[in-house]
Amino acid sequence: MSAAHTQNNDHGHDHHEPGFIGKYVFSTDHKVIGIQYAITGLLFLLFGFFLMLLMRWSIAYPGQPIPGFDLVSKVPVLGWLFNEMIGRWAPGGVVNGELYNMLGAMHGTIMVFLGIVPLGFAGFVNFVMPLQIGTIDMAFPRLNMWSYWLFFVSGVGMLASFFLGTGSVQTGWTMYSPLASTTGLAVTNVWMHGHTWWLLSMVFNISASLLGSVNVITTLINLRAKGLTWMRMPFFCWAMFIVAFLLLLAFPPLEVAALLQFSDRVFGSSFFLPTGLMEGGQHLDISGGGSPLLYQHLFWFLAHPEVYVLILPAFAILAEVIPANTRRPLWGYKAMVYAGLTLGFLSFLVWAHHMYLTGMGTMMSTYFQITTVLISVPSVILLTGLMISLYGGSIRFTPQMLFASAFLPMFGIGGLTGLPLAFTFIDLALHDTYYVIGHFHYVVAPGTIFALFAGVYHWYPKATGRVMNDFLGKLHFWPSLVGMNLIFAPMFIQGMGGFHRRWYDGGKYFEQTHSASNWFTELTSKFFGLFGMDVPNNLLGLNVLMTFGAVILMLGQVPFILNFWLSVKGGKKVKNDNPWDCTTLEWATPTPPPHGNFTFDIVAVRGPYEYSVPGMKQDYFPQWESEPGKAAEPASVNTKVVPTPHH
Amino acid sequence: MDIPYTVTARPDTGLYNAKVGIWLFLASEVMLFGGLFSSYIFLRVGADYPWPVHELGVTLGFINTLVLIFSSVTVLLAWANLKLRNIAKYKLYLFITILCAGTFMVIKSIEYRAKFKHYSVTLTDGTILTGHLPHGYTIEFGEVKSLSLTVAGKTAAIDADPVRHVVPWIKGELPKFKTESGNLISLDATSFQQLKNEAKQKATEKAKNDGLKEIPNWTIKLVPEKSLTFVLPPSQLLSRPQPGATAISFRDGTTAEGIMINDKMILEADAVDLRATPDKVKSIAWNEHYLGSAWKKVFIEKRDHAIAEFNERYSDGKGGTTRDPSKSATHQKHMFYFKLDAEDHDKTDSHTGSPHKAEASVPSHDAEANSGHQHPTVVLDRKDIQFFSNFTPKLNSYYAIYFTLTGLHGLHVIAGALVLAYFLFCNNKMMRDDPERLANRVEVGGLFWHFVDLVWIFLFPLLYLL
Amino acid sequence: MADNPEAIYGAIRKIKLIGWLLAVFTVITVALSYVELASHSWNIIVGMIVATFKASLVALIFMHLNHEAKLVYKILAFTVAFALALFILFYFSNTDPLVYKDF
Ligand code: HEM
Ligand SMILES: [Cu+2]
Repeated sequence: MSAAHTQNNDHGHDHHEPGFIGKYVFSTDHKVIGIQYAITGLLFLLFGFFLMLLMRWSIAYPGQPIPGFDLVSKVPVLGWLFNEMIGRWAPGGVVNGELYNMLGAMHGTIMVFLGIVPLGFAGFVNFVMPLQIGTIDMAFPRLNMWSYWLFFVSGVGMLASFFLGTGSVQTGWTMYSPLASTTGLAVTNVWMHGHTWWLLSMVFNISASLLGSVNVITTLINLRAKGLTWMRMPFFCWAMFIVAFLLLLAFPPLEVAALLQFSDRVFGSSFFLPTGLMEGGQHLDISGGGSPLLYQHLFWFLAHPEVYVLILPAFAILAEVIPANTRRPLWGYKAMVYAGLTLGFLSFLVWAHHMYLTGMGTMMSTYFQITTVLISVPSVILLTGLMISLYGGSIRFTPQMLFASAFLPMFGIGGLTGLPLAFTFIDLALHDTYYVIGHFHYVVAPGTIFALFAGVYHWYPKATGRVMNDFLGKLHFWPSLVGMNLIFAPMFIQGMGGFHRRWYDGGKYFEQTHSASNWFTELTSKFFGLFGMDVPNNLLGLNVLMTFGAVILMLGQVPFILNFWLSVKGGKKVKNDNPWDCTTLEWATPTPPPHGNFTFDIVAVRGPYEYSVPGMKQDYFPQWESEPGKAAEPASVNTKVVPTPHH
Repeated sequence: MDIPYTVTARPDTGLYNAKVGIWLFLASEVMLFGGLFSSYIFLRVGADYPWPVHELGVTLGFINTLVLIFSSVTVLLAWANLKLRNIAKYKLYLFITILCAGTFMVIKSIEYRAKFKHYSVTLTDGTILTGHLPHGYTIEFGEVKSLSLTVAGKTAAIDADPVRHVVPWIKGELPKFKTESGNLISLDATSFQQLKNEAKQKATEKAKNDGLKEIPNWTIKLVPEKSLTFVLPPSQLLSRPQPGATAISFRDGTTAEGIMINDKMILEADAVDLRATPDKVKSIAWNEHYLGSAWKKVFIEKRDHAIAEFNERYSDGKGGTTRDPSKSATHQKHMFYFKLDAEDHDKTDSHTGSPHKAEASVPSHDAEANSGHQHPTVVLDRKDIQFFSNFTPKLNSYYAIYFTLTGLHGLHVIAGALVLAYFLFCNNKMMRDDPERLANRVEVGGLFWHFVDLVWIFLFPLLYLL
Repeated sequence: MADNPEAIYGAIRKIKLIGWLLAVFTVITVALSYVELASHSWNIIVGMIVATFKASLVALIFMHLNHEAKLVYKILAFTVAFALALFILFYFSNTDPLVYKDF
C-alpha cells in the first residue's frame, strides 16, 4: 500500500498530480471509471425498480391512488421532480394507461441499457479486468473516459425525456414500429418529443458501448501480463471478452434501427410503415413501402445477443466467487470457455425466435427453432460447470456466496422456461404473455442481479479496503430471494392463463380472468385472508401477491444501500491485500490499488483456479507466486515469440 | 510506467494497440453498414413499386467514386512518404486527401440540393407527376372570424403559442383581437403572456371550486377585428387538411375556422409516370386542365413506339417475343414513364435515342400549357393529390435508404477528414519527436479512410446503377 | 508493410497501379450497368461481383489484409459471417421458399 506514493514519481515529466476533477470526475483511471459506471448503474437500477413499483401498484390496484402520492408531491424539491416526471400524468395519483406505458417502456430501457449493462459489464470489467490480467490500465484510457461520459449523456437524455411536454416514450422497451414510428407525431415540435430523445439517447448509449468494447477487447488481447496465456486467463475475463464482442458486433444494427425509426418520425420516411397504413380510420400521410418486420429484425439482431450481454457478466462474476468460496477449482474451465465462445457465436444466429408470430415464413421459423434449441446446450454447460464446482467444496457462506448459490437454481428456472418458447407451436400460446416476462425476469432479476450483488460483495474490499457487513448482507439476501420468487413465479401461472404482458390494469377489465383458479390462487387468497385482506381466488388475486413480493424486495434493498455506503468508512478493515485468499492477479495489488495498480512486475505462472492443490499447506496457490508467499520473477517466464507476420 | 505496445507491436499478436483497436472498430462499422445494406436488401425485395434504376445522376456519382479512389491512393502515399521521412511530400499528399474529402462532400451536397427542390406528386389514381414548385406550395385559408387557443393546464406537448405558430402566417397586416372580456389586444408576446396568465388563473380557480384532481386546459377565444386569411405551407399544420376543410389546427394546437380559399398546387411538371395507374389512357393527368389531350397523344405515340421496339428487339421470329413484356421492368418504364421536355422538338431524334432516354417531344400547338417555360405547368386540385413529397426520405423507401446510406457515409467522410486534418495540423510536435508513432497514426487513419472508400464501392452501383 | 526504403518505393508503385485498376473497374461497372443481361437480377449479380472484386483490392492491398496478423483475420471472419447472416436471412424473410401453395 505504501508503494502508491513512490509510484507517482516514475510518471516522469508530463504527468502531474490531477486535481479532484481529474481524479474523480474526468478520470482516465480504469478503476475510477469502473466505480463511476458501477455507481451510476446501481442508481439507475434503483430508479428502474421504483418505476416497476408504480407499475405493480397499478396492476394490483387499478384505478386506486398510489399510496403516499399526495405526501410525495408536497415535498419541496423532490415533489416538484416527482410531479413533473410522473405526477402530472396521474391525476389524483391514479396511474392511467398512458403513464403505465411510459413506466413500462422506461423500466425496460433503464434496467437493460442503463442499469445492468453499465454495472455488470462496464463497471466490473473496468475495475476488475485490468487488475486480473496484470496491467496498469486499459489500452485507451482517454477513450474509456469518453465512453463513460457518453453513457452518462445517454442516461441524462433518458431521464430528461420524462420532463418534456410529451413525457417519455410509451411504446415498450422494444419500440415496435409501426406504432413507434407514427404515434404522438402531432406535436408542436418533434425534436422535443420523448421518443426522439429516447432514440438519440440510444445513439449515445451505443457509441459508449462501442468505445468500451473496443477498449476491453484490445486490452485483453494486447496487455495481458507476461505468462498470462489465454488459457490461464480467469473465466471472468473470458466471459467479458465475449460480451465485448457481442456489444461490438450486435449493437450497430440496433443503431441502424434507431436511426431508421428516427427518420420515420422526423423526416417522414416509411422504413417500417407498410403501404396503405391507416390510423384512426384515416390514411397516414406517408408513402408506405416499408415493413414492420424490418424493424423487428434489426432490433432483435441486437436484442438477442443483448440477453447474453446481460447474463454472461453474471457467469463471469460467479466463476470467481464460487471457487473462492468453495475453495475448489472451477469445474470444467476449458469446457466453460469453449461453451462461452460457442454461446457468443450462436447468439448472433437465433434472434428471430422473438418473432415467430410475425408471419416471417416457414423456413425462417424452422431455422430459428433449430438454432435456438442448439444454443441452450452451451447455456446448460455453463450452468453445469458452476453447479458441479460446488460439489465437495468446503463452502464459506459469505453474502456473495449466498447470492451466488441462489443464482444457480434461479437461472435454471429462467433457462428451462425458455426452452418451450423455442418452439413455434408453444410460443403461439405464450408469446407476449406474462409467461415470457417470467422467463426472462428469472434470468435477469434473481439471476443476473443476484450475481451482480455477489460481485459487489466480493470486490468491495479491493475497491475500498473494507469488507461489507456480513449480517446486513444476509439481511439483504433473504428478503431479496423471497421477494424475487413471489414476484416472478406467479407470472408463469398467469401467462399460461393468457395474461397479456402489457395490461395496465393487470387484467381487471377482462372477464375471463375472473374465472380461472387453481390451488395456487386458493393458497394466495387464503394467505391474504389471514391478514383480513380480500384477495379473490382467481388469477387476478396473484397480482396482489406479486405486488406484495415487490414490496418485500424493496424492503430487502434497504440493508444493502445502508451497507454499501456505510461500509466505505465503517466497514471492517481488510486483514491483507487478499482477504478472501483468492488466486487471481487482482488480489496482488495494494488495497485500494493505486494509479498504475501493481507495485512489482507481475507475471502469471499458473492457471487461475489453483485451490486446494493436493500436498500444499495453504488451500490456494495464487497465479503470481512461484512458491507460497513469493512472487514469481519475470525472468522465470519465457514467452514464446511468434515471428510477426509482417515483412 | 506507460501503457505498453502503443508504438511497437506486441510480439505474440504482431499488433500495436491502436491497430487492434481500429480493426475492432472497423468490424463494428462493417456491422453498421451491414445492417443498412441488409435493410436495403429487405426494402428492395419487398418494394411494391418499381425500384428506381439509373435515376440518380450517374455522372456525379462516377466522379465522386474517382475522387474517393484518388484520395485512397494519396493517403497511402502520405503514409509512405512519412515512413521515408519526406515530410514535405507527406504533408502535400495528406492535404490532397483532405481536399478530396471536401470535393466529395461538395458534389454530394449539389446532388442533395437538387433533390430537395424536386417534387413528386402522386395523384389519386396512382399517376405520378414530377417537377418543380416554382412558387413553393402554400395554401390559403380565409374568412377566419375567430381563433381558439388552448392553454394547457400542465406541462404538455401542445400548448398555445400563437406568436410563433399562428401570427407569422397571417396575410397582410396583423389586426387587433378582441378577447372574451372585451379588451382589444395586439397578439404579441407580452399581451399573449398576460392572456395566458389569466387563463391559468381561471383554470386553477375552476379546479379548486369543482374539486378537480388536476388543472384543466383552458380555451381562449379571440375575435379579430376583421376576418383573417392565412397563407402557409401545409407542413406547418398539425395535420394535412383534407380537401374543402373548414378548420385548420396550427402546430401549437390553435384552431381557426373558415374556408379553404386555395389549396391548389402549381407544378412545373417534367415527367409523368403511369406505371401504377390502372387505366393509363384515362389517367387524371390527361384531363384538359392538366396535361391535356395533346400530351396524351404524345404518350400513346411513345408507348406504341416502345412496344414496337420491344417486339422487334426480342422477336422470336414467330410473331411473339422471347421476353414477357409484363415482366420487363425496363420495358414497363419505356412504355409508361416519359419526360415532358418542351425543348425537345425533334421527333425523329427521340426515335433513335438510347432506350434509357424516353423524352417526349411536344406538340407545337400546345403552346399555352408551357408558355415560355421548358416544362408544362399544371395546376393540381387538392382533391386529386394523394401524396406529395420532394425527393427526400419521405418520397419512398428507395430515397429513404439512399439518404440514410449516403448521409451516414458522408458523416464518415467528414469524420475521416477531420481525423486526417488533426494529424496534419496538430501533430507537428509528434512528427519531430516520434515520427514512427505518427506514421502509425496515419496508418490507422488511412485504414479508416479505405473503409469509407470500400463502403462507397458498394454504395455507388447499388444506388446509382443497378 | 515493410520498413526499408526499397520496399516502400515498391509499395508506392503498387499503390498507384491499384489506383488505376480501381478507376478502370469503376468504368466497367458503369458500362455493364447499361448492358441488358438476361434479366435485371443478372445485372445486379454481375455488378456486385465487380464491386466485390474492387473491394477486395482495397481490402487486400490498400488495407494490407494480404499480410496481416492472424488475429485480425479471426475478428474479421466472424464479422463477415454475421454480416452475411444478416444479408441472407433478411433476404429470405421476404421471399420464403417454403410456402405451401395449395392451401
Ligand atoms: C436458455 C436458453 C433460452 C431460450 C431457449 C430462450 C428462448 C426465448 C424465446 C423463444 C423468447 C421469445 C418469447 C416470446 O416473445 O414469445 C425469449 C424471450 C426472452 N428471453 Fe429468453 N431464452 C433463453 C435464455 C435467455 C437468457 C439467458 C436471457 C437473458 C438474460 C433471456 C432473456 C429473454 C428476454 C429479455 C426475452 C423477452 C424479450 C421481450 O420480448 O421483451 N433468455 N426467450
Ligand atoms: Cu432471444
